[in-house]
Amino acid sequence: MDGQAKTILQRIIRKIPNKKLEVTLKSWDRLSTEQLESLDCTQPKWLFLENLISRCGEKRLGLKAVTKLEMVYYIDNPNQGTWQAFQLMEAEDDAVSVSFTQFRERFKANLEEDFRHISIRMKKLEDGAIWIRIAWGDNFRKPNHLKPTYVVHYLQTPYVFFLNFMSKHKPFLYEALFRATRHTSIKEAHLSGRSLTALRDLVMRQYQQVFPTKDRTLKERNGTPLHPNIEKEHAEYAERRHQMACEAFGDGILPKLERAVYKLETRYRGNSSNTLNDKDELFRGVVKFSSSNLLQSFHHCVATGIVEGPVTPLLSSITQKGKNYFVITDKVPGATH
Amino acid sequence: MAGASNLSGLALETSGELQSPGSASSNRSLRVAENVRKKGERNPFQFALNYLSQVQEGTVVRGNDALERNLVLVETIALSQGLPPEAVSLLLDLALSLRAGSVTCSRILKFLIPASVVPQEAIVRGMSWLCVGKMPLNAQVLFLRWVLTVFDLIDCKDHLRAVYGFIFSFLTEENLCPFICHLLYLLTMREHVQPFRVRKLLEIQTRMGKQSFLMQLLALYKVFRPELVTLSVPSRLRTGFKNHNSTWKAALSAVQRKNRTQMMADHSLSLGVKGKPVSRKRKLDHLEVPPLSSSFYTNSKKTVFQLQELRSFTELLQNIHNIELPAQMGSLLGCSLALHYLDCVQDESAFLRLNFWLGYSLQEEFLLCPVDGDSDSQTEASRFLATILSSQQFLQESFLSTESFLYKFLSVWDGSLLRSQVLDLLSHVPLMPSHHIRMLLFEPLMQLYFTSSVFFKCSVLECLNSMLLKWLTWHSINALENGLDISLNSNGTVTMTLSGFMDTVIELVRFVGRLAAEGLRLENCHVLLLSHTLAFYETVCDMFVKYGLPLVIMPPADVFYPALLATDSVSVDRLGYIMYRYRKNLTLAKKQGQQREQTFHISRVTYQEFNKHLVAMVSCLWNSKSFLSGTGIEVDERQLIQSKVPDHWSSFDLVHHPAFFKYALEFHQKCWPERKRVDLASIKVGKYWNWYVEFLFSQGFDGLNDFIKVNTGQSYSSSSSSQGDSQPTGQH
Amino acid sequence: MALLTPYSKIPELNTATILLIENEERFQTKLADAIVQQEKDVNVNVRLARKLPLPLENGDSRPRVDLVVFVVSLRSERSLQAVESSLNYLASDYYLGKVCFVVTDARCGTLAQERMLRVRRLAASHHCPVLCAEHQTEEGIAMAAMRLLTILKVSAGLSPMATTALYLSSLTRCAAAPELDDD
Repeated sequence: MDGQAKTILQRIIRKIPNKKLEVTLKSWDRLSTEQLESLDCTQPKWLFLENLISRCGEKRLGLKAVTKLEMVYYIDNPNQGTWQAFQLMEAEDDAVSVSFTQFRERFKANLEEDFRHISIRMKKLEDGAIWIRIAWGDNFRKPNHLKPTYVVHYLQTPYVFFLNFMSKHKPFLYEALFRATRHTSIKEAHLSGRSLTALRDLVMRQYQQVFPTKDRTLKERNGTPLHPNIEKEHAEYAERRHQMACEAFGDGILPKLERAVYKLETRYRGNSSNTLNDKDELFRGVVKFSSSNLLQSFHHCVATGIVEGPVTPLLSSITQKGKNYFVITDKVPGATH
Repeated sequence: MAGASNLSGLALETSGELQSPGSASSNRSLRVAENVRKKGERNPFQFALNYLSQVQEGTVVRGNDALERNLVLVETIALSQGLPPEAVSLLLDLALSLRAGSVTCSRILKFLIPASVVPQEAIVRGMSWLCVGKMPLNAQVLFLRWVLTVFDLIDCKDHLRAVYGFIFSFLTEENLCPFICHLLYLLTMREHVQPFRVRKLLEIQTRMGKQSFLMQLLALYKVFRPELVTLSVPSRLRTGFKNHNSTWKAALSAVQRKNRTQMMADHSLSLGVKGKPVSRKRKLDHLEVPPLSSSFYTNSKKTVFQLQELRSFTELLQNIHNIELPAQMGSLLGCSLALHYLDCVQDESAFLRLNFWLGYSLQEEFLLCPVDGDSDSQTEASRFLATILSSQQFLQESFLSTESFLYKFLSVWDGSLLRSQVLDLLSHVPLMPSHHIRMLLFEPLMQLYFTSSVFFKCSVLECLNSMLLKWLTWHSINALENGLDISLNSNGTVTMTLSGFMDTVIELVRFVGRLAAEGLRLENCHVLLLSHTLAFYETVCDMFVKYGLPLVIMPPADVFYPALLATDSVSVDRLGYIMYRYRKNLTLAKKQGQQREQTFHISRVTYQEFNKHLVAMVSCLWNSKSFLSGTGIEVDERQLIQSKVPDHWSSFDLVHHPAFFKYALEFHQKCWPERKRVDLASIKVGKYWNWYVEFLFSQGFDGLNDFIKVNTGQSYSSSSSSQGDSQPTGQH
Repeated sequence: MALLTPYSKIPELNTATILLIENEERFQTKLADAIVQQEKDVNVNVRLARKLPLPLENGDSRPRVDLVVFVVSLRSERSLQAVESSLNYLASDYYLGKVCFVVTDARCGTLAQERMLRVRRLAASHHCPVLCAEHQTEEGIAMAAMRLLTILKVSAGLSPMATTALYLSSLTRCAAAPELDDD
């Protein structure tokens, strides 16, 4: 094992928590069962690392194997940083029939054309996700495995998710994606977050959606029926609020979105303060909501009546449009009153 | 004590090996695996300590793997088992000297968990490092917080006291001031209180404002040398010092618990401290009365004695002049010798500190956090209150802090949480001015009383009864000693005039009268409630004869009549006793009043009330003239006729009264066993009446017996004639 | 304004109705269960609501309400505000002994103490009693339920002796908040 591989291996091992080490190494599938058993995951990291390196030496594992380990770990634990969602546009006719093999070949070929030194690993998972790990280099330098970019794409869908994505690589990556998926343009989806699955569920609507229904039949939501002598005065309101919350944010387990950002580029409307009432200047501001599960929080607020309904479209468009970054501008520019 | 010194001795010999072999037999099975693994690590721990002791000035810390490895090793041991004394001393020196940098300094301080004791030399050396002044501020604060946390574990404090002046000098550092104040508070002895220190303190106080920590320290100084501190210190300081032990609390208590269980397995502690290895929860740390710290070296050169070293009462007597109080005053509560000491010495500084500790604990545990509902914390809480209660009973005096806590607690009490303890404590509340008692006590109690069950009502009455009893007893003892003024606590700092005392008692009796009257009405004259009410009036009726309080207060009609017309004979009997005692009291009062006009005067109204009750009772039970005019309870004639009760005038006499009906029947059966038809009226004729009355009194109705004897005694022989009168009165 | 009135409906035989109002809807269900379960002699109806006014459409089906209980959690400012705003939707007849406050989390530090003072002031100005409840323990809930039942029975006219709601409230109503701190 050379020095570079060792440094990268050290990086990866440091990143993986002790309790996940064993599982990750197992799904890495490069060490024999005996070797795995001989490793003690409860040891301090530095000691463990020494042992692991010696095992890798026995197996003659190199840089490639190490990058695979990283990818295996990322696939199992994708919540490692901020993922950004992008949407491919203007599909060509044959976009619907792209297969994984085609995709892989076109993608690799395209990037390798542009860069002399680049390392690309690709893997298709059972749920149809294609995971791509790209370590960038350039014509003079070897690929930098310390800062790889991860790309996740589902074939036949317009959505792509990026992790650790630098703008200088943007055109090359876009180009490769266009070629591989047969699209001609791409745009930011204004959606980002730590949880990849949440982003995916949100844009692909893979959560329990509720649609407005005409008949408002009261269904008993919580299983415990009330004693016949107990009556809820606001039962119908509660039901309506719950319905409203579900329509706006979905029902059941909601995608784990951490934040929503609203950038205000509007004019201040109010007649109290003169300094704020500048007719020409925009009143700029940023409103951030954050929570461990933002949609759930909004849902709860609406369902329990902490906020009065109806739900403002500003909030409900998080799910409706699949975005969590909004820029709000005045409809009529320069409007005064 | 033997176990304690054993442990510390052991820790000295085999540093790093804390578990004495053979101890902890109960935990053995759990530890087998661990021990096997530890065997390999024992030497490494020693090595690590050696390594750390040799760390030189200016050692590179970043990326120093060897240092890191050794620190981690020591850290794990420290957090799991605690550190032996000389390891504490070594590490403290390493940390405070900053040989390994300030980051390492804080890190070491954070895991500095002593297994048994902290040698005082280590602290003194630490103080000297503080004087060097190289440490960054946060490390200084951390160090002081650590010292306060482990204060009780410092083996002895004489050297530390010797550098009192040095410690005092840090008061001027604004950021350290609160911690230094607390430390001084714990260290201060009488000889430390010097004019120049007081001056300095006052100067700091003018600069920093009335900070609570400064006030606490000043209060203590004032206790020791009142002539030096002219400043007025409020008698009840709200809060003194904050808790600084958050960093170490969990680890320290875990280690101590572990070590304690090991000790307890082999030796039972002397002194009767109930140091059960209760699992402590995070929040409820205060609820356990700390044991008098048990691991100390016995130092023969020392002149002061520590309370926990005393074994017997004789020892206490021999050393009573030079006893040192423990740092955690709460530990006094669990120990009868310590309470003896408190009682004998009447050391105000001790009471001040005890009240501070208690007030803080009570506030923290009962007013600042909700119960988390599990039964463990409940029993712990009730045990804590019971300890306070038993200490108060021992001292026959309630603590100021319990009192003020109770008033606060009452206003947020739901009536069921820790009910019996709270009511017990409440019954120990000392006297207070009447306008206070109304606001602090009656107001919240009223609401609780009238919305709660009859059983709660009974326990409230019982509590108030025992409160009154205690006040009266207190009065009867103190009135003899110092005339009219009554001191409210044992050292006579709070006094009250006799009229003030009487006002409060009148207020209380009136209040209970109201509670009882309305309560009886709401609860439909519940027997239990009636019984508790009468128990209260048994106390009230004897205030003059038994307790020498020149006061007679009659029960309201709403209490008197339910008792008179009660369906159970016991209540009527008790009423008889009460009326009998009232008569005694009033007679004595009248006699004394005639002898010396000036002492006191019982108002005519009271006599009138008594007479009215008396007439009603006699005419009802004896003369068979109930409900007729001039007998106290009058009911309109027409209504009585409408009710169609035959001979209604006699339906509450001793024969027909529902309470005695059973006895009348029995008597009837005995007299005329052959009669088929029961005719109770025949009991009232001639000698049968006398026989019946005797029969009735032979059933144990002593109260009634006394009542009848006193009130109809002179006409006992003519009683037959008086009942003969009753027949014609009823007929027209 | 839709006022809730105590005497506009005819009482039912051997029946009492209690209205529990709590903005958070946390404690009220537990309390309602305890109330219903505890009372065996009288038929007790419990109505749960978040705030006043009550929805108009339930007006016909709702029995005569004998006691209105405001549940305030001292942990939350909103809880108190909701109660303050609801008070206006009760007919003044209710304030003659048919309203009471139940306070939870009263032992939660200084903020709770300040709010407690405000609740007391509010209750004193409306001549209502304030009950404190321990909502986290079984015994606490049972105790609160029992105390409410005691008041309810009186205000519904079901108490054995002729005690009126007004009379009981004169005994239990909250006096002006005591100033403990000045001592």
